[in-house]
Amino acid sequence: MSIKRLLILQIHHLFSEYLKDASKKMKSGLLFVTLANPCSGEGAIYLFDMCLQQLFEIKVFKEKYHSWFINQSVQSEGHLHFATPMDPLFLVLHYLIKADKEGKFQPLEQVVVDDIFPDCILLLKLPELEKLLRHVTEDKEINSKKFYKYSKEKTLRWLEKKVNQTTAALKSNKINVSARVQSAAYFSADQVSSDKEEDYIRYAHGLISDYIPKELSDDLAKHLKLPEPPALLPNPASKKIKLSDEPVEAKEDYTKFNTKDLKTEKKNSKMTAAQKALAKVDKSGMKSIASFFGVKNKKKI
Amino acid sequence: MESSDEETTEKQRIHLRSATLCDAAPAIVHLLPCEVLVNGPAPVERFFTPAIRQRPSGLEVSFRGRILRGEEVAVPPGVAGYVMVMNEKAEVLAELERRHKRRGLEHEEEAQARSEPLERDFDRCIGATASFDHFHLWGLETIPGPDAKVRGALTWPNLAAAIHAQVPED
Repeated sequence: MSIKRLLILQIHHLFSEYLKDASKKMKSGLLFVTLANPCSGEGAIYLFDMCLQQLFEIKVFKEKYHSWFINQSVQSEGHLHFATPMDPLFLVLHYLIKADKEGKFQPLEQVVVDDIFPDCILLLKLPELEKLLRHVTEDKEINSKKFYKYSKEKTLRWLEKKVNQTTAALKSNKINVSARVQSAAYFSADQVSSDKEEDYIRYAHGLISDYIPKELSDDLAKHLKLPEPPALLPNPASKKIKLSDEPVEAKEDYTKFNTKDLKTEKKNSKMTAAQKALAKVDKSGMKSIASFFGVKNKKKI
Repeated sequence: MESSDEETTEKQRIHLRSATLCDAAPAIVHLLPCEVLVNGPAPVERFFTPAIRQRPSGLEVSFRGRILRGEEVAVPPGVAGYVMVMNEKAEVLAELERRHKRRGLEHEEEAQARSEPLERDFDRCIGATASFDHFHLWGLETIPGPDAKVRGALTWPNLAAAIHAQVPED
């Protein structure tokens, strides 16, 4: 019998709430749903906590040639899933930008609609959303009903703040950001001190770009006055990463998300840079949780 | 319920049974530097665990005749590790009921969950079977260095917190 086990690292406070309250009557409200990834528009898995009304993103660490021993069993793929809190505004922004083509103020229920990912309506249940919308929209109130319109200027200012706080986190977590250091993974962590401010900003920009569409990412680069990236040396680190995206495995694993994933695979170079930047958390892993969830089809015997 | 239909997958919700989290016993977890092509039971306790030796440089073991060296890696602070298994909804509910009967508990939560509109017939269900707060990271011949991908991945929760934290208003 082949049972797939999923190893999940989860921000503790979320689950501990449940552990605390498990004895009490508590509505079970943790659910994984597929929503549109705001960068690619393709399906990705998110975790909703309907009780605490929070949104979590699922990312997967995967590297070729790893397996788990879990107690008295073996789990073939050495994957590690992470559930981390997600700013819902990134997901809503995807719809606001789409709706902006109509160029008018609209109520949110008309903006956040999706035939392919109908669970996006769960986003509207998040309590702080209305407050967050001020960062990226102009709004009007008519008969105590709110109408929203995407504002690129406000969005860029919001994203700039995101870049700034991410830059600060990169520094405090001592993450290697310079292209040169990245390209030679065997350099010691001491190199960090020599990183330039610009490298941090570029790196943070890359991380944020994983959550916004390509055009907005380009606009953000201009807004931040980021110079064109210097030509990268052919770099062994990125080569390694490419090697780990094994096409054979992809075909087998992603049955359901196949066509889409292949598209996502050909991400713009910024994605790849961000991917590297992410201290090698494999972004393409998004698909793998999907494949896990689709495991029924793969089950042997 | 089989769902070969792609659309169903996207509309499917997978419910995490929060009650399974409190029953999740600590598991002993090893990350091997090789791919074993099967999923299933394995006599880890008979072959692998007794062969682990403490050396000055760290832990040492052999697997299929190759030397592995490794060390214990802690799950980052503020984060918890769970092993989850996907099940049919019916199986999980039955198991939960069994457990709760054993402990003499009414299972109101699940009864309530069944009538929850959040759950539909084609939805699926996942539950925690074990938990962990550290694991053994193994490398072939040498302990995976500071640049190992998995170590980088463990810094992700910290970074994600900064990316997704709310920004101050103007």
